[in-house]
Amino acid sequence: MRFALTAFLLLLYFTMDGSAITGKIRGKVYDNETRQPLAGVYVIWGRNLGTTTGDDGGYVITPDSGRVNITFQFIGYETVTKSVFLRTGETIELNVGMDMKLSEIDQIVISANRTEQRIAELTVSVDVIKASFISENHITDAQELINKTPGIEVIDGQASVRGGSGFSYGVGSRVLALIDGLPVLSADAGNIKWQFLPLENLSQIEIIKGASSVLYGSSALNGVINFRSADATNKPVTQFFTEAGLFGKPSNKDWVWWDTPRSFFSTSFSHLQRFGNTDFSIGANLLIDEGYRRLNGEKLGRISFRIKHLNRKKEGLSYGLNLNAGYTGKKDFVLWEDAEYGALKQNSLTALGLQGDFLAVDPFVSLKKRDRYKHDLRMRIQSSGNRFPDSEKNNSNALSVFAEYQGWFRIHDRIDLTAGISETYSNVRSNFFGDHTALNIAGFSQLEVTPFHRLKAVAGVRVEQYSLDSEKDKIVPIFRTGLNFQAADYTYLRASFGEGYRYPSIAERYASTTLGSVKIFPNPDVAPESGWSAELGFKQGIRIGKLNGQFDFSAFLSRNSDLIEYFFASYEDPVTGIPEVGFKATNVEQSRIRGFETEFVVTRSTERLSTTVSGGYTFIYPVEYNKSSQQATGAYLKYRRKHSGKISILTRWNKLESGLSLYAKSKTLNIDDVFLNPLTREAILPGFYDYWMSGNTGYFTIDGSLGYKISDPLTLSLVVKNLTNTEYMGRPGDIQPHRNFSLRLTGRF
Amino acid sequence: MKKIALFVTISVCLLFSSCSKDKESEKFKFLTTPTWTTDQLLVNGVSADGPGELLAGFKGDASFNKDGTGSFGSYSGTWRFSSDESQLIIQTPDVPLPIITDIIQLTASRLEVTTVFPNPADQTNPYNIRMIFKVK
Repeated sequence: MRFALTAFLLLLYFTMDGSAITGKIRGKVYDNETRQPLAGVYVIWGRNLGTTTGDDGGYVITPDSGRVNITFQFIGYETVTKSVFLRTGETIELNVGMDMKLSEIDQIVISANRTEQRIAELTVSVDVIKASFISENHITDAQELINKTPGIEVIDGQASVRGGSGFSYGVGSRVLALIDGLPVLSADAGNIKWQFLPLENLSQIEIIKGASSVLYGSSALNGVINFRSADATNKPVTQFFTEAGLFGKPSNKDWVWWDTPRSFFSTSFSHLQRFGNTDFSIGANLLIDEGYRRLNGEKLGRISFRIKHLNRKKEGLSYGLNLNAGYTGKKDFVLWEDAEYGALKQNSLTALGLQGDFLAVDPFVSLKKRDRYKHDLRMRIQSSGNRFPDSEKNNSNALSVFAEYQGWFRIHDRIDLTAGISETYSNVRSNFFGDHTALNIAGFSQLEVTPFHRLKAVAGVRVEQYSLDSEKDKIVPIFRTGLNFQAADYTYLRASFGEGYRYPSIAERYASTTLGSVKIFPNPDVAPESGWSAELGFKQGIRIGKLNGQFDFSAFLSRNSDLIEYFFASYEDPVTGIPEVGFKATNVEQSRIRGFETEFVVTRSTERLSTTVSGGYTFIYPVEYNKSSQQATGAYLKYRRKHSGKISILTRWNKLESGLSLYAKSKTLNIDDVFLNPLTREAILPGFYDYWMSGNTGYFTIDGSLGYKISDPLTLSLVVKNLTNTEYMGRPGDIQPHRNFSLRLTGRF
Repeated sequence: MKKIALFVTISVCLLFSSCSKDKESEKFKFLTTPTWTTDQLLVNGVSADGPGELLAGFKGDASFNKDGTGSFGSYSGTWRFSSDESQLIIQTPDVPLPIITDIIQLTASRLEVTTVFPNPADQTNPYNIRMIFKVK
């Protein structure tokens, strides 16, 4: 009887306290390669039982005792299943490493919809440049990096995505550059300060091709380039490189002006580490470039710093600060001396020494609950200065304060909402542009809906108002929409339409100066640019045995109005009223561009040998367009090429790594009349007309690289750029680098 | 299959809606409909369309075609409005610089434009040009 009572009480106890017949499994989930914890991983066991990992990658589950099969699932990663035997009351520690899916279509990007998403599921074309590409190709300048992307050309600092921009003398940009999602255009000239964009501690660079103003506002008329910082991991990572290089002789020996070869030197250091709940990263870069052209050298220093703290008490709360700063002393190349002997010598009248500085401080706070909401409050306080010791009238200092709140909400299993508000305050103090203040206020909202399995639809709207010196411009409402449909396991179709606009920069409105023989007139009345782009795309993942990759095709159409270009004509001087000849920012161009683009990447990997072949081809048909008649005028847009293509092959075998890239571009279709007009051409660029008539042809260049892993952390590599020593030009008078060699020692600890 | 058809239908609608045409403006219609002929070509208030004079080349008929091409007296080239249609810009290989004119009057029967052009002989006294056209 006593035994029966005891047995009954024990049974009652176990029935009332379920934990007594279960155990506990806990652990952390991390990326196998980076050792970084993975937040939001689905941890599934039993039937319909599961949890997700926290920000530190940790999880705890309490399954019934016995054999437990646990599945770990995370977007972009291979699913992992573990089986353990759990005894009653036992606690098992189970840490799990996950491998990223090798398939290119599973890459995660953030720029396209301002939330993390698989690249295959986007409605717009997005290219991703991996951080390793920078190192493999000895790239020290972000401009060169972007210029090597299919469908993009950077002409003397001005980026053009699929022919959306030409060249407008260094002011204004129709492509918005971002560092970690925050705009980085200068407040005065509205251009991209390429040299100050950090190439250290990057995770990847994402490029949106097409109008993206709904999410990113003015200047994203033609696309967006987002430089994303890498997060620190549990395992500290230290990297460095030091590089030295030489320019050879150009194919035209008459252009050689130096006695000893021109050299360049660069060194960089970066470190990422996690201390408890605090991520920390620091990077620095130093560049000394003598330049292959006379009066065109540069000395550059750049640092970056990042700290991010995960709050222990409030789950999902993090905050921190990014800092990017740089200083440059250089002479930009403006005009050559002459085509015959002086194409690589800058005209001394335009060779102005520039001392430029840049500082961006970005505090941020983020609160998120996985699959429910995310609040982001971010700021960028950015200062940039240009000082010309020999021409103080061109000095300029610009300060901008950008602040943004963005909320993301899962309002239904099939509906996500992203909404936010932002403001940008700019203050320019300049001898060149005058003193001005500007304020930009915007609100945006976007819905992403999954009406049925495999179909995603996106629709967004933005309302923005800009005021300059307290004078308000009209309120601009713009829209975007898009669809993505997964037609098969690795096949995705997409369609999108997006509007864009760009307010003129302060420089375009107010710059007034004389550069050599060239006079620049201000135009305070220049109007904003606007336009739209649409595309149909197709992405096919490739996975055949050890072959892995993707193929992408897109057909696109864009139309833009009131494009600003520096128009050479006779204008009245704003002070004297006397007409003079020169350039003025004017809304003269309407454009229509249609075309198509293909890109592919295929990798075959075995234990010892890995080969990646990638490339792309872009065709554009860029014509001027008469807005009134809806007809093409028959004239090509300036500074565009119909055809451009790239193909690369990269092979890793044991300790050796080799790469070969071929770039091809067709001729420039049209340029400013001022360079061809008999009245003006010789005064501006002596000898250019004859050079252009015979030399404006298509061209191809080849870059080659060879690397050897000396020891586990150290790699020595040689890169030869422009192996064929091809002579080619960007904008008129801007002869591009001839063959050059660089040797780099890279370390990663 | 139905889903693909739906995707294609929506995508095509999306593209077609984005290609909708703008309307032709009144000024555009006024300018491109008739053939014009010069009424007065003045420099600093004085007629300048005689042989060898500054505006002689513009004398005669002018047409502004809808595709942006045109003929202007003995010249041929292209024309365009400024974005607010307050200016008429003419470019021709026969004249070294684009001619940016302010539109003073543009009706169905009269076109009057003015511009100021540098005077190479005396920079402080530029050419004040006024061109008046009537329907032929």
